Amino acid sequence: MAENTKKIKVVKKDKDMNALSPTANALLNILLIVAVVITVIPLWVIIVASFTNEQALQTYGYGFWPQEWSIRAYTYLFSRGSVIGTAYKNTIIATIVGTLLCLCSVGLYAYPISRRDFRWRNFFTFLSFFTMLFNAGTVAFYVVCRQILGIGNSLWALFLPLSFSAYWVIIMRTFYQSNVPEAVIESARIDGAGEWRTLLQIVLPLAVPGLATVALFAAIGIWNNFFNCMLLVDEAKYYNLQYTIYQTLNSIRFLKEMAASVGSLATQIADLPSETFRMSMAVVTVGPICLAYPFFQKYFVKGLTIGAVKG
Amino acid sequence: MAAKTALSSGTTKALKHDKWGSGEVKRHIAFLTMLLPGLAFLLCFSYLPMPAIILAFKRYSLAKPPKDFWIQNKFIYSLFIDNPWVALNNFKFIFQSPDAWTVVRNTVGYNLVFMSLGLVMSVSLAIIINELNNRIAAKVYHTILFLPYFISWIVVAYLVYAFVSAKGVFNQIFTSLGMPTVNFYSEPKYWPFIFVFCNMWKYTGNNSIIYLATLSGFDQELYEAAAIDGAGKWQQIRHITLPQLVPTIVLLQILAVGRIFNGDFDMFYSLPNGSGPLKNVSTTLDVYVYNTMKTGAQLGLASAAAFFQSLVGFVLVLTTNLIVRRVSPEMAMF
Repeated sequence: MAENTKKIKVVKKDKDMNALSPTANALLNILLIVAVVITVIPLWVIIVASFTNEQALQTYGYGFWPQEWSIRAYTYLFSRGSVIGTAYKNTIIATIVGTLLCLCSVGLYAYPISRRDFRWRNFFTFLSFFTMLFNAGTVAFYVVCRQILGIGNSLWALFLPLSFSAYWVIIMRTFYQSNVPEAVIESARIDGAGEWRTLLQIVLPLAVPGLATVALFAAIGIWNNFFNCMLLVDEAKYYNLQYTIYQTLNSIRFLKEMAASVGSLATQIADLPSETFRMSMAVVTVGPICLAYPFFQKYFVKGLTIGAVKG
Repeated sequence: MAAKTALSSGTTKALKHDKWGSGEVKRHIAFLTMLLPGLAFLLCFSYLPMPAIILAFKRYSLAKPPKDFWIQNKFIYSLFIDNPWVALNNFKFIFQSPDAWTVVRNTVGYNLVFMSLGLVMSVSLAIIINELNNRIAAKVYHTILFLPYFISWIVVAYLVYAFVSAKGVFNQIFTSLGMPTVNFYSEPKYWPFIFVFCNMWKYTGNNSIIYLATLSGFDQELYEAAAIDGAGKWQQIRHITLPQLVPTIVLLQILAVGRIFNGDFDMFYSLPNGSGPLKNVSTTLDVYVYNTMKTGAQLGLASAAAFFQSLVGFVLVLTTNLIVRRVSPEMAMF
């Protein structure tokens, strides 16, 4: 016991000896605090703008503190939620369904190719890996989705093409290989379990952290996707959040049309909280990600480090 | 217990057998059914588009197949039967257009700047985070700096708008300093800086993760020995940390070279907010493909540009991997 504490003390002393000098440490801390401020300030500015009175924003412009508080943009956003409400609903459905599909397809595909006794593992590994090296390009993807698969202009377009990725298969395969001991699989077989039962009851519970990582990659990818919606969807009722807010930023016309379609509000166009409204849309788009971020951040770090290890 | 051991050695033997036992057939059927959902995705979104590449060599127009034709899909009929071959004309047209040089310059130029500046920033960040004395603060800093990676480019376009629009933060600052305001959305000269800044803002935290993971695996005794020998922090970084990081740096840079013809579509498309005067500094290959595709029935042209991009990307990845394999085989991707 005494020896132990002594050892710890020695180690600690070594570390202290090799620590940064207080000045250097302080300077680097200041540098990183500046970086943190630069990271956070833009988000702060749009949050402030979304809580500012429209007239005040038009007069004083964007700043770090609202000249006049107002929650009008948000009451407006939630009260007549047609456009943003639909977009939110579409995005949530796409994210949930797409993530579940990703778990099934990636979790299942990666398992056989992680097994040494699967005879065609090299072929199926290559089949998936090759898609990382070569793709047919945007145009071929576009015509196939539209003309052959028929998922153009539908909710499917928002998640199906984003539910599977060879990169996640590699992460998952590496995870199975490093976290599920072969002896466990072997003993399940001896106990008479079939391959499906072994996978579902023994392997998957051990692979939960890997699955969580892959699910998060998929969920964030679908939530943040803008390109597929722009490429494949025509009607506003299938728009997702990112595309909706892109359009809003791009044209104020969009807002006016929206007001006109409600009719009674058409006369109040001048009164529309346009700029603050746009900012509140951005805030509710990025909000869920920022709120969930502290909880999922560590899974991402893990996933990135696993992915970097060659399987 | 003894029976179990005997059984176990028996199965191991059966495993090594080259012939198909009944158990093995059953097992492989199970394996193949597991692969099915993934195979469906691979087929639909990766392999099915590949034959459509011939679009790049055709003059595309959608035609209706004759009533009694064996395949009634308009697209398949047009692409494989009806549309005329034009050999390399689509490619010629693209490369002879005055935009070609601008587009390639933008794509490759931005990527080179992102790569080199990104390397310096992310390696420095990883080293600083690793060296800080207060571990909890270091973790908090890194967590916050990693956040922008999860913010979509569309939201970043909003953030940029809040800073550079007519009433944006920058113009407010200019006004309060008595300087003339700037209309950023019609001044191309500022945008290369805006793109580079936003790229660094979004990716530095993320890019530093691999370097951080590599750094934390280094042998601490080396540093202690160096410290005992009187080496300062700066010398330790120069002579121990950086040399050990070189393999990771080389690998990641080579991989980046393989992607040099791919740009961040969302960034280049959404940040300029559809502003015409910025086209010259914001059109990269991906944006060019999309615009060509969306402006009229130029699908053959767009397809040629997209195919060119995929092909060059493919060749670059293979070449860079070959180089990595020469330099250090254990780091090659395949």
